[in-house]
Amino acid sequence: MRLAAGSAALLLAASAAAALLADHVVPLAVLTGVLLAVCLRAPARRARPYLVASAASALGVFLIWPLLQSTGIRVLWEGPVVPVVGLLDVTREELVLATVYSLRLAAVSLAFAAYALVLDHDRLVAAAGFARRSALAVALATRLVPTLERDAAGLADAVRGRGIAVEGVRGRALLLSPLVAGSLERAANLAEAMEARGYGRGGHSRAPGARWSGWDRAAVCAAVLLVVAGALWL
Amino acid sequence: MALAALERVTYSYPGAGAPALREVSLELEQGEIVALLGPSGSGKSTLVRALAGLIPHFHGGRFAGRVAVAGLDSRTTRPAQLAGTVASVFQDPEDQVVLSVVRNEVAFGLENLGAAPAGIWARVEAALDAVGALHLAERRTAELSGGELQRVCLASALALEPELLLLDEPTSQLDPAGAEDFLSCVGRLGCAVVLSEHRTGRALSLADRVLFVEGGTLLCDAPLGEAVGWLAGHRPEYLPAEDDSSDRVGPSDLVCRLEAIGFSYRTDHAVLEDVGLEVGRGEVVVLEGPNGSGKTTLAKIATGLLRADSGSVELSGRAGYLSQDPGRYLIRERVIDETALAVGGDEDRARAALERVDLAWAADRHPRDLSSGERERLGLAAVSVAEPDLLVLDEPTRGVDPTRKAEIAAWLSDYAAEGRGVLVATHDRTFPADRRVTLGQEALVGV
Repeated sequence: MRLAAGSAALLLAASAAAALLADHVVPLAVLTGVLLAVCLRAPARRARPYLVASAASALGVFLIWPLLQSTGIRVLWEGPVVPVVGLLDVTREELVLATVYSLRLAAVSLAFAAYALVLDHDRLVAAAGFARRSALAVALATRLVPTLERDAAGLADAVRGRGIAVEGVRGRALLLSPLVAGSLERAANLAEAMEARGYGRGGHSRAPGARWSGWDRAAVCAAVLLVVAGALWL
Repeated sequence: MALAALERVTYSYPGAGAPALREVSLELEQGEIVALLGPSGSGKSTLVRALAGLIPHFHGGRFAGRVAVAGLDSRTTRPAQLAGTVASVFQDPEDQVVLSVVRNEVAFGLENLGAAPAGIWARVEAALDAVGALHLAERRTAELSGGELQRVCLASALALEPELLLLDEPTSQLDPAGAEDFLSCVGRLGCAVVLSEHRTGRALSLADRVLFVEGGTLLCDAPLGEAVGWLAGHRPEYLPAEDDSSDRVGPSDLVCRLEAIGFSYRTDHAVLEDVGLEVGRGEVVVLEGPNGSGKTTLAKIATGLLRADSGSVELSGRAGYLSQDPGRYLIRERVIDETALAVGGDEDRARAALERVDLAWAADRHPRDLSSGERERLGLAAVSVAEPDLLVLDEPTRGVDPTRKAEIAAWLSDYAAEGRGVLVATHDRTFPADRRVTLGQEALVGV
C-alpha cells in the first residue's frame, strides 16, 4: 500500500488531532503504536533522533506529572512535603492520567516525525497548490539543516586535522562565520545551477502526482472517522 | 550550421584584473564530443559557463564578442531560455541539487521547461536508468553519496534531452569504475558534449576533438589525433600516465600502524572490518578503493579524528589531516592567517609553507577570493605548516590539473623523504606512490 502525499498528510494530521481529543489509554496506545510503526519504515539513522526526542518527552511527562498533581484517593506512594510544590505523592488516578498525557504527547510527536520522515514534501507542497516559489523555498529549507550539519562537521574535522582543538562555545564560535560564508557560497552556486536548468523562464508544467487510489480515498475517510471518534468515543 | 559558436569572446569577471577568456573563437558541431583541457584557473569553467549563457547574465563582468547556441545569441537570451537546448553538470553536485527526493530532482528541469506532464515521469525514469541510478529514484538527495549525487545530476541533465551537454569535472567524486561507467554513458548520448576533465586519460579516450585553454587563450583546437600530437610536443603531462604500480613492501620505521580495525557509523552496517595498515617514515602510501569502501574513514582513524570500534591504532608523533574539498573549510580572513593557525600565528613558518605551494603572492588575500585549485593548495599549506609526522590527504588531486598534480606528488615525496609518512586516499590510479594499498568492500585486499 502506498498513499499519495496529500492523503498521507491528512491521515497524519487526523491522527494527531485524534490523539489530542482522546482520553483513554488503550486507543491512545494503539494510535501511538501504529504511528511508531510508520516512523520505523524510515532508515534507522534518520528516524533515531525523532524517536529519541518523542520517547524522552513522553517519559518526562509520565515521570513528572504524578508528582505535580494532587488528584485521586488511592495513594500508591507518599513522599515528603516540598516547599512550593507541597506534598509529593503518587496515586493510581495520577498514574492513569500521566499515562494518557504521555501517550498523547508521544502520538502527536510521532505524527510529526512520520510527516518529516516518510512524506514526499516536494510533491506535498506542490500538490497543495501553493505558489511554486513557496514550494521550492520549503524544499530548500528542508535540505538546509542536513547540509549545514555536514558542513559544520567538515569544518570541525578540517580544523582538528590541523591539530587545533574545537572545544567549548568559543571553539565552535570560531566556525560560525566560515559556516555562514560557506552557505552563502553554496546559495550562489545553487542559484546559478537553477537558472541553468531553466528555473524562472515561465511556462512551467507540473509532473502529475500519483493518481489517488482506493487506499487514498479510504485514508481520507479514516482521517475523518479518527477525528470524530477521538472527539466522541476514544 | 554549427550547433554553437563563440566569436572572439573576451570576458573578465567583476573586479578581476585579467580577462578569464581572451579572443576565444570556436564552433561546435552536432553530436561531437569535445575534451576541454587546461590548468586550474585557465578559463575552462568560464568557457563552459559562456556556452550555457551564464556568462555574462549570471556573473556580470565585461563581455565582448558573441556566443550563439542553436541560433540563439547569449547576449539577448537568458540562460533559462537556453536550458533544454543546453544542459550543464557542474563540479560540485551538492551545489546543484534543489529538491529532496531524487525523482523530483530529475523532474525539476523538465517542469521548468514546461514539458508535457504525462511524459515527465517516463523521461525521469529513462534518464535515471541511463546513468545506472534508477534504484535511487525514491531516495532522499540528502542521503546520497557524492558519487550518487553526480549520477543524479547527470540524469537531471539527460532528462532534458539537450543538444549540447556541458560537463565540468563530472567524475570528480567517482571511483575509477564509476567514472568509466559514467563516461561510457556520455559516449552513447548522441548529443554534442563538452567535457572538462583534469583526469585527461578518460576525456581523451572519449573525445573526437580536443580544446586546450591556458591563461584564457585557446591554444589548441584540433581533432583527437592531431591534438595528442600537439600535447606530446607542448604539454606532455596532459597525456595519460601509466598506472603507477610501484611496490616497495615492508616499511621499517613505522609512523603509523593500524591493526584489526573495525568501524561502523550505524549498527547494521560495518564500514571497516578487520582492516590493517602501516605507514613507514620516508614513504608515500596511496590508499585506493571504490566509493564507500571506507578510505576516508580509515584515514580519519589513522589521524585520530575517528575512534575505531575495535582494533588498535599506534601513531608515532603527530598527525595532520587534509579533508576532501579543503577549499570549503577555510576559516580565517587572510591567507597568511589561515596558514599560521596551526603554528600559533608564526607568520614566518606560514610564509614558507605558502611558498612551497606557490601561494606566497596571495598571503594578504581573502581565502574565498582564490580559485578552487588555489584553495586546495592553501588547504595543503595550512595542514603541512606544522610538519606533522604523518600527513594524511583525502583526494588531494580532485580538481587539480596534471601539472599541479605532479608538483604535489613531488612535494609529498620530498616531505616523506625528510623522515615523515604520507598517506593519500585517492581514486587517482596515476598518483605516484611508494606503495599502494587497496581497500575493498570487505577488507584490505592487497599491498
